[in-house]
Amino acid sequence: MKKLLTIALVALIAVSAFAQGASEASKGQVTLEWWTWDATMADTNNAIIAAYEATHPNVKINNTIIPTDGGAYATQLAIMAQQKNLPDVFTISSGNLEDWAEIGYLRNLDELIAKDKTIFDQFYKGMFDAVKDVAKTDYYCAIPFAYVSCDLFYNKDMFDAAGIAYPNENWTWDDFVKAAKALTIDKNGDGEIDQWGYYGYGRYAEAQAWVIANNGTLINDKMRFEPDKNALEALHFFTDLVLKDKVAPMPKDMTAMKYNNIFPNGLCAMFVDGGWQVNDFRSKIGDKFRWGVTRIPNGPSAKETWTFGWPDSYVLSPTTAHPDEAWDFVKFAAGGGLSADQVMGGKLSAYKAIVESPEFIDMTQQPYGDMELFREHANDKFMTTYTKSWSEWTGYGAAENMGFAGAVDSILNGEDSFDGAMKKATDGINKILSRVYP
Amino acid sequence: MVKKKSSKWIILVLIILAAFISIFPFLWMVSTSFMSEDVIFSLPIQLWPNKLFKAGMWENYKTVISKYSFGLYTWNSFLISFLAALGQIVVCPMASFAFAKMRFPGRRWIYALLLMTLMIPVQVIIIPEYYLMMKLGWINTFLPLIIPSFLSGALGTFMFISVFEAIPSAMFDAAVIDGASAYKILWRVYFPQATASVATLFIIGFMNNWNDLLRPLLYLNKAKLYTVTIGLTRFQTEYTSSWALLLTASVLSVLPLIIVYIFCQRYIIENQMSAGVKG
Amino acid sequence: MAEKQKFKWHSWATPYILIFPTLIGLFVFRLIPIVSSFVLSFSNWNLIKDPVFNGLENYKELFSDPDFWVILGNTLKITVGYVVGGMVFGLLLALLVNNKIRGMNFFRAAIYMPVITSSVAVGIVWLRILGPKYGILDYLLKMVGITAPYWLQDPKIALWTVTFVQVWKMSGYYMILFLAGLQSISTDVIEASVVDGASPRQRLFRVIIPMLSPTTFFVFTVAIMDAFKNFELIYAMTKGGPQNATNTLVYSVYVNAFSYFRVGYAETIAWVLMAVVGSLTLVNFYVKKYWAQPLE
Repeated sequence: MKKLLTIALVALIAVSAFAQGASEASKGQVTLEWWTWDATMADTNNAIIAAYEATHPNVKINNTIIPTDGGAYATQLAIMAQQKNLPDVFTISSGNLEDWAEIGYLRNLDELIAKDKTIFDQFYKGMFDAVKDVAKTDYYCAIPFAYVSCDLFYNKDMFDAAGIAYPNENWTWDDFVKAAKALTIDKNGDGEIDQWGYYGYGRYAEAQAWVIANNGTLINDKMRFEPDKNALEALHFFTDLVLKDKVAPMPKDMTAMKYNNIFPNGLCAMFVDGGWQVNDFRSKIGDKFRWGVTRIPNGPSAKETWTFGWPDSYVLSPTTAHPDEAWDFVKFAAGGGLSADQVMGGKLSAYKAIVESPEFIDMTQQPYGDMELFREHANDKFMTTYTKSWSEWTGYGAAENMGFAGAVDSILNGEDSFDGAMKKATDGINKILSRVYP
Repeated sequence: MVKKKSSKWIILVLIILAAFISIFPFLWMVSTSFMSEDVIFSLPIQLWPNKLFKAGMWENYKTVISKYSFGLYTWNSFLISFLAALGQIVVCPMASFAFAKMRFPGRRWIYALLLMTLMIPVQVIIIPEYYLMMKLGWINTFLPLIIPSFLSGALGTFMFISVFEAIPSAMFDAAVIDGASAYKILWRVYFPQATASVATLFIIGFMNNWNDLLRPLLYLNKAKLYTVTIGLTRFQTEYTSSWALLLTASVLSVLPLIIVYIFCQRYIIENQMSAGVKG
Repeated sequence: MAEKQKFKWHSWATPYILIFPTLIGLFVFRLIPIVSSFVLSFSNWNLIKDPVFNGLENYKELFSDPDFWVILGNTLKITVGYVVGGMVFGLLLALLVNNKIRGMNFFRAAIYMPVITSSVAVGIVWLRILGPKYGILDYLLKMVGITAPYWLQDPKIALWTVTFVQVWKMSGYYMILFLAGLQSISTDVIEASVVDGASPRQRLFRVIIPMLSPTTFFVFTVAIMDAFKNFELIYAMTKGGPQNATNTLVYSVYVNAFSYFRVGYAETIAWVLMAVVGSLTLVNFYVKKYWAQPLE
């Protein structure tokens, strides 16, 4: 066996010696590697590069877009990090910031920011600070290019038909339930509801958004899963929408379509999810019905308005050979070089001039003036639930039927009692958290 | 005679039923590819495409091909799958012949190891494999997708062993007595006997590489290298989902496989007919 | 077999030349990753740092996790259901399409369609068919007054539904393999049995099935192997839910490696999977000795 392994290794080394292709950029020319994950932005990214290279002839930008499917993006980024070969500029999920900062893979930007006198005239300082909170660092470690919030979408036609005023930020949760009850209708009288007041499930951008709206916290100061009074109140409210008030369907009844097809298909009057759904709903709904978007109403125990939201940000490699060029480019890519229509609908740009421009509110498409909401978010108090191993305990992506999301779904689907599911979730999640926060 | 005729009808009905059950989801995919996004999930369920034979019926196809460069992806997938499958049908019979007909030191060990690799799902080895490919400098080339399957196909080797073992030993004995070399026996006597299996292996090898997703996702990061399966992921992202385009692209992704299948099926059938003639 | 060696019809090097490419492929591209994954299964590794070896920690954690035993059970159930289902349907279909009927090529191609369609697309389509209330099957059943169960959402049924879809997808594959076997059976033998006056049933059980045994053995082995390759279908249809009801070892490996970035732990699960697969293979070969010796 040993012999064979040796032979294999020798062969491997021989092959790799042949395969090494050496290519170094010519002197004076700076090449920046820029990694992103959103393939829908490919055209925008190319436009950014073209514009940037036109004014910076000595800089060449290579954009690599790797899909998040199969964990491809995060896996390759992690391997590049471990190999100390990170791209100069890259996008990173908020859920990874803390882990990465701890190892020192996020470049400390304090020096670059201190040199850059106008940075906070151009970008919202609050968003830069929010990134620090998520990463739990005492230095600036990322440049946010957008803020993502969770909001309440509603079907205006359904509200009009029921003769109810549209939801607004002064609504209480009682108002919400009252409206949802009036909007839950068996239209053809066959004994089955075909228009629900609300639809939601355990997904992070839905269940956790209600917790935040009630100023609740899921993770305590000692980094253990322990929903506080407000969080439990919110989760009871959220699950009662299905179980007691019966204004929302059980999630398992709706699995013939993806979660983000239910609102566009007119099966529910209200829906809570990430603001980026604006972009998706525009194409899915078209002119079928009129819809709007507003804040999730504050819960009964909320002392102030918290918005569930997180930054999408760029990071500079700690090992980049060209920090100044990378910094200059990243400011361009994060806002300076963008026009309002290049920012995904429903995301709040971090660049003040874009948000303040009249084009930010696109009056040619739904939800028209409601887009003002995203401008208002610029001054919000944002809260997240990010920790290390966040996607594991939350139940995200391939694991969306597990973790916290799976527990909430088991309550909503009537498979488990509230207390039973919460106890199971607490045990499971704390096992995860105690591993990463000993 | 009457009984025989009725049994033939039963067989026909059963075949039609099986074919329908097999093909129904595909038909739905095709139907969906001629629907607009808002119709796919509309209620009551619409199975008949709303755009068929109307203006803009090819809209989804046009978008997929022009905006998402599916032509290029198809070519990339074809190149990878063809070369990988080609390697399989050359290398596997060679190894199988050695395993089936020769006795040599290490035979049992190598055979056992090979079989073990047959059983390993890609998820198990993909991360170490990624490191290996990185050390070889093969990231962003087609090599990681072609070379491993070109060099060794556990499944194909295994398949040809059972095929070669089933070939009557009289043929082998005759060739040996004629003084034919081992290579000649393999390529002139055994290989021609196994055309049906060669065609089958080619389909399987082609198909497995065509439908592979995880490896291309990890190894190919440049848009010009993307395969069809990577292309398919672009219709369902965190931020958007387009079912009409996804299913249109799925239909397009199956078409080349149908062509390969029909092409190979001819060999399977021909083989059957020539066997019939000999009989 | 043994006496043939005396002829010396090939040099000692010939077999090594023949298996040379296979050997390179096997050692470089298969065994190196496999051995590495085994070593990694004793480590704590989140990819971004270097792996830290932690002895048997991962194995201890795995075996003390109650979910693991559920997942292992699911894997075994799917494997049995899939291997039996796939082989039975594969053989039946092969026998069906081995008849000479006009248009048979079309029917064979039709039955093969699910095999060549990508698993993700198949998963999406079946989700749309099997979904409650707004699914196509539910819609059709409702018309005849039947209330369908929650095919993919009921923890008691979901696993079998997933198995069914996997069998549906792959039966055409085993059909082709069996078909190649059926066609390699010399027509002389079958005609001889007809002349002998054997009934169709006798012909099937006394002649065809025994003569198919090398193919059957092959299909059996391949089916066991395929039984574990259900990640895409599960990902597209259930994501391992509800409540782990459709979570399998392979899915668990994936989730731990690519969602949680617990690579060491994922490799531990992978090696448990390897142990399962390995023992199934051993049983398989033990059986082969008594069952599928090629006919001489």
